[in-house]
Amino acid sequence: MTQKSYDAIVLGGDANGLVAAGYLARAGLRVRLLEAREEPGAELSQTEVVPGFRCDTAVHDVGWIPPAILRDFGLASRGLTPLAPDPSVVAPQRDAPPLVLWREPAHTQEALRSHSSRDAERWPRFTALAHRLAGFLRRLYENSPPQPVFRGATEGVSLLPLAWHLRRLGPQDMMELLRVFPMSVAEWLDEWFENDLLKGTIGAGGITAIRQGPRSGGTAFVFLHHLVGADVGVLRPRGLIRGGAARFATAVAEAAEAMGATISYGEPVLQIITRDGQAQGVVLSDGEEIRGRCIVSSLDPHRTFIELVPGDQLDPHFARAVSNIKFRGSVGRVNLALERMPRFHGIDGDPSQLGGVISISPSLDYLERAYDRVKHGQHTHRPYLECVFPSLNDESLAPPGKHVMSITVQYVPLQSNATAWTGADSEALEQTVLETLSEYAPNLPDIIAGSEVLAPNDLATRFGMREGHLYRGELTLDQILFMRPLPGWSRYRTPIEGLFLCGPGCHPGGGIAGGAGLLAVREILRSLKKS
Amino acid sequence: MPSQYDAVVIGGGHNGLISAAYLARAGRRVLVLERRERVGGAAVTEEVFPGFKFSVFSYVVSLLRPEIIRDLALPQHGLHILPLESTLTPLPNGDYLAGWADPDQARQELYRHSPRDAEAYDEFGRVLHHMAFAVKPILSMVPPDPTSLTPNELRGLLRLGRHFSDLGEERFYGLYKLMTMSSADYLDEWFECEPLKATKSASGIIGTFLGPRSPGTAYVLLHHYMGEIDGAFRAWGFAKGGTGAVSEAIANAARSFGAEIRTSATVTDVLVRQRRTSGVVLQDGEEVGAKTVVSSLDPRRTFLQLVDPDLLPEDLVSAVRRFRFRGSSGKVNLALSELPSFTCLPGMGPHLRGAISVSPSIDYLERAYDEAKYGAFSTRPYLDVVIPSMIDPDMAPPGKHVMSIFVQYAPYDLTGGWTDERKEAFGDTVIDTLSEFAPNLKRSILHRQVITPVDIEEITGLTEGNIFQGELGLHQLFFLRPAPGWAQYRTPIKGLYQCGSGTHPGGGIMGASGRLAAQTILKDASR
Repeated sequence: MTQKSYDAIVLGGDANGLVAAGYLARAGLRVRLLEAREEPGAELSQTEVVPGFRCDTAVHDVGWIPPAILRDFGLASRGLTPLAPDPSVVAPQRDAPPLVLWREPAHTQEALRSHSSRDAERWPRFTALAHRLAGFLRRLYENSPPQPVFRGATEGVSLLPLAWHLRRLGPQDMMELLRVFPMSVAEWLDEWFENDLLKGTIGAGGITAIRQGPRSGGTAFVFLHHLVGADVGVLRPRGLIRGGAARFATAVAEAAEAMGATISYGEPVLQIITRDGQAQGVVLSDGEEIRGRCIVSSLDPHRTFIELVPGDQLDPHFARAVSNIKFRGSVGRVNLALERMPRFHGIDGDPSQLGGVISISPSLDYLERAYDRVKHGQHTHRPYLECVFPSLNDESLAPPGKHVMSITVQYVPLQSNATAWTGADSEALEQTVLETLSEYAPNLPDIIAGSEVLAPNDLATRFGMREGHLYRGELTLDQILFMRPLPGWSRYRTPIEGLFLCGPGCHPGGGIAGGAGLLAVREILRSLKKS
Repeated sequence: MPSQYDAVVIGGGHNGLISAAYLARAGRRVLVLERRERVGGAAVTEEVFPGFKFSVFSYVVSLLRPEIIRDLALPQHGLHILPLESTLTPLPNGDYLAGWADPDQARQELYRHSPRDAEAYDEFGRVLHHMAFAVKPILSMVPPDPTSLTPNELRGLLRLGRHFSDLGEERFYGLYKLMTMSSADYLDEWFECEPLKATKSASGIIGTFLGPRSPGTAYVLLHHYMGEIDGAFRAWGFAKGGTGAVSEAIANAARSFGAEIRTSATVTDVLVRQRRTSGVVLQDGEEVGAKTVVSSLDPRRTFLQLVDPDLLPEDLVSAVRRFRFRGSSGKVNLALSELPSFTCLPGMGPHLRGAISVSPSIDYLERAYDEAKYGAFSTRPYLDVVIPSMIDPDMAPPGKHVMSIFVQYAPYDLTGGWTDERKEAFGDTVIDTLSEFAPNLKRSILHRQVITPVDIEEITGLTEGNIFQGELGLHQLFFLRPAPGWAQYRTPIKGLYQCGSGTHPGGGIMGASGRLAAQTILKDASR
C-alpha cells in the first residue's frame, strides 16, 4: 500500500489556511489542504435564510485584506469587489435623525455639527491621530511579532525596525500610543468627545468580537486594531465584499488551487500523528493516514493541541498554558430575510444611506450595560447591533425588491444562566434583536420573511471554533503580539517539530483576512530551508 | 524681608516629609508647610471620639520602602510596625476562609476548601515573589523618557531594556501578563476557590475605579503584593499608634536633620518669576522665599492651582486635566463597646488580630463595581476591616475597641451628589453588610465616622478623594505619571519639583516618590 505523502498538510480551509496553502504551493511545495466542511472559508460563509434569500452566515466584513494577498492571489481578476460604502456608518436614533459618518472627514464634520459642534471640530484631529496610531499597528502586522526577550544579538536586532517605527511617530504620537494602548476605549473617547451617540458609535469598534465592555482596559487597542488598513476617518467596515464575505473565501480557494495546492473538502482530521516530538502526518476520519513533512494548522490552538495532538506528546506546562487561552465567544448572529427595506427614523428606506454599517450603539453606557449582563452569564436586553444589507450591493442575494439583513449581536452568552443554551434561548435572542431594532425601524416586525439565529454555541459547532470565538482567541492585551497564541511560541512554530500554526489564533489575529497565514508561511519556509 | 530657605516643601504628607528629610540630611535648609494642624496628610491618627483613636484614612502599612526606613532611621524616631497576622473571609453560608500567618496552618485551611488550590498556592507565592523582585528595581528608578535621544535617557532606556531582558523569558512574560490582565483572569489561571480568588483580587481593585474583571487590575494586585516588612513580602502591618505614627516618625527624622515643619500653613501660590520659582505665598499673604519648591500635592493641585496654568506648556496642562482620579473608596470608623463576634468563628480569636475581608466571590466584587460604574455606591460593597485596638490597646479605652472599615465602591461622582442623607445611608449599608457576618456589631457601636471620597478630598486635599493621587492604571504609570515628559519630578518651572504619589511609582505609604524627587533635586543642584 502506498501512503500518500506531501510536503505540507494544511488543516482548515478558512482564509488563513487557504492563504498559507496557496503561498506554500507557490514556493514549490506539494500541499494538501484538509477542510472539514464542504466549502472553503469556515466562518466566511453564506446560507440561504429562506429560499431565494442568501446572507452572510457569521461575518459580513472580512476585515483588512493585506495588499500582498490581494496581489499575489490575483483577487481582483477573480471578480472580488471590495466595497467602500459612503456613508460608512449610520447610527439611527429612536426619535431623532441618525448620526451619519461619511468617508471624508470634512463631510462627517459637517454632519456632526447638528449633534455637537465641539465634537465636529475635533473629528478631523481625532481621526487623523487614530489613523497614525493604527498605522503603527499596521507595521507590526506586516511582520512576525517582535520578540521582547531575545536569546541572541540577531533577535535583538529584529527589534530595531520596531524601535525605528515607534520613534518615527514623533515624541507626541509615541507617548500617545503608549498611553492609549492599555486604555479603555471609553476613557479615551471621553477625553475627546461629548456626544453620547458619537462616543457609543465609535466605541463599538473597541468591543468588536471581544467579551469586554467599552470601559475595560485594552479596548482602545481593539478599536485601533480594527482601523488598520482603513482610510482616514473610516471606522468600519473595512472589508465589505460585493456578494458577501464568502466570495473572498471562494476567490482565495480558487487562486490557491491555481497556485498548485490540492484542497479536499469534507475531510475532518482526527489526529496529528506525532512521534518523538515530531509531527509526521494526520489521521482522517476514515482512518486513512496522510504523511507530511510539516503540518500547518489554521485551527485554533486549543483544537490543535488539546484535541488533535495525542496528550502524551505535549509538555503538561504547555498544555496548561493552552487551556488558559481565553476564547469567550460572545458574538451572536441574526440574519433576516425581508419583504422590503425597513424604515429607520430620519432615513426611511433610502438605500443610498444604508450601503454601509448600521450601528445600534446609542451610548457607551448602553454598550457597557449590555456587557454587564453577559459578564454574569445572562441574556442582554438591549444589545449592540451591527447591521449590513448585503442585498443593497448585490441584487442577486434576494428576490427583486426584497432584501437580506445581516446582524451581528453583542453580547450573547455561551450558556444561558449557567445552563446549556437551548432553542428557546435562540428564540429569545431573536426576539430581543427584533424588539431592539423596531425601536429604530418600527416597521421591521411586519416585513420579515424568514430568519436564522446563531448563538456562539452554534458558531462553535458549525465552524469548529472554540467557544464560537470568531478570532480563535480574544484580542486582549495579554493575548496579542508576542503573547499570541502563547508567549515564546508567537512565531508560528510549536513545541512539536514540524507542526506550525497559521490561524487567527496567532499574530496578527482576527479581522485581518489571511494575515496570519501570510506571516506563518514565511516562518515555515525559513524553517524548512534549515532542516 | 521674607524668610529664605533652600527648599520649601508644600504638604506634610509622608512623601513631602520624606523629601524634606532627605534634603535636610543633605544639608539643605528646609521648611515643610502643612495646611492642616497636623502632619501626615492621609496618614494621620486622630482621636475622633474621646478616648478612641483612629487611623482616619490610610490604615495599614507595608509598602514603605526599606531603604527609606534605613536611611532615615525611622525605628529610632518611633516607627514600630506590628504585623497583621491573618485574613479572614467570612462566607454567606456560615463558613469562612482564613489565611493564617503560619504556612502549614494556612495550607491546611485552604486544603479544606480546595486541595488543588492548596497545591498551587506555594507556587503562586513563588511566582508573585519573583514578579515583585522584577518590579522592585523599577520602583527605585527615575522613569526614563522613551522619546528622548539624549545619551543620559538612552542609557536609562538601555538599562531598563537590559533589566527586562535579564529577567529571562518566563519572568518577562509573567510580568507582562500581570501588567495587562485582570486580577480575576490572572487568578483563574491558578485557583478555583472563589473566596480565595476574590480576597486576593480585592487587593487589585483597592484605590482604582475598576472591577476585578477589568484588565489592568492584576498589576494593582502586584503593587499591593510588594509590601515588605523586614524583608518579608506581602506582610501587612499596623503602626503602633496608628498610621499617624508613621508620619510622626518621618517628621521627627526630618527635624533631626534640621528641617522645620509648620502646620496650619496653607500655601496658595507658587511664586514664579521668569519661569523660575522664588518661593511660595501663604493664605495670609506671607511670602516664603526659596530657590527650590517641592510640591507633594497631586498633579491637579500643583499644576492647575498652585501655578498659573498659563505659565505651563499646553500639552502638560491638558495631560493634567485628563489625568484620572475618580476616587472610589470610602471609610467607616467605629468605636465599639465590645468585639464583633463572627457567626463563622464566634467570640474572641486570633482572626480578630488580622484583616477581615468581605469578599466572598469575584462576582460579588464585580457586582459592587457594576453599581458604582453608573454612579451609585455599592449596596453590597467590598469591605476590608481591621480592629487596631486588638493589636495596639492604646487606640481605645480599656475593654473597648476601634474598628476601621475600608469600603469600595463609593464613587466620588455619586449621582445626585454626596448629601448628608446619602452619606449616612452609605454608612448604614456598610454596617448592614458587615452585620450579616457579625450580628452583634450593630448593638456594640458607640460612635461612627463615615468618610466619603468627597470628605477625603475636603480634609486631605486629595483630588476627587483618590487615595493614590491618581489611579494606578497602566496609562498613568511610570513615564506617563503624571504626564508624558514630566515624569522625572521636574516641572517646566525651574526650581519647582513634584514629589507626591501622583508621580512614579505612585500610591500607598511607599515614600519612593518623595525619595526619588529629593535625589533628583540634589542631582540638579550638583550640576
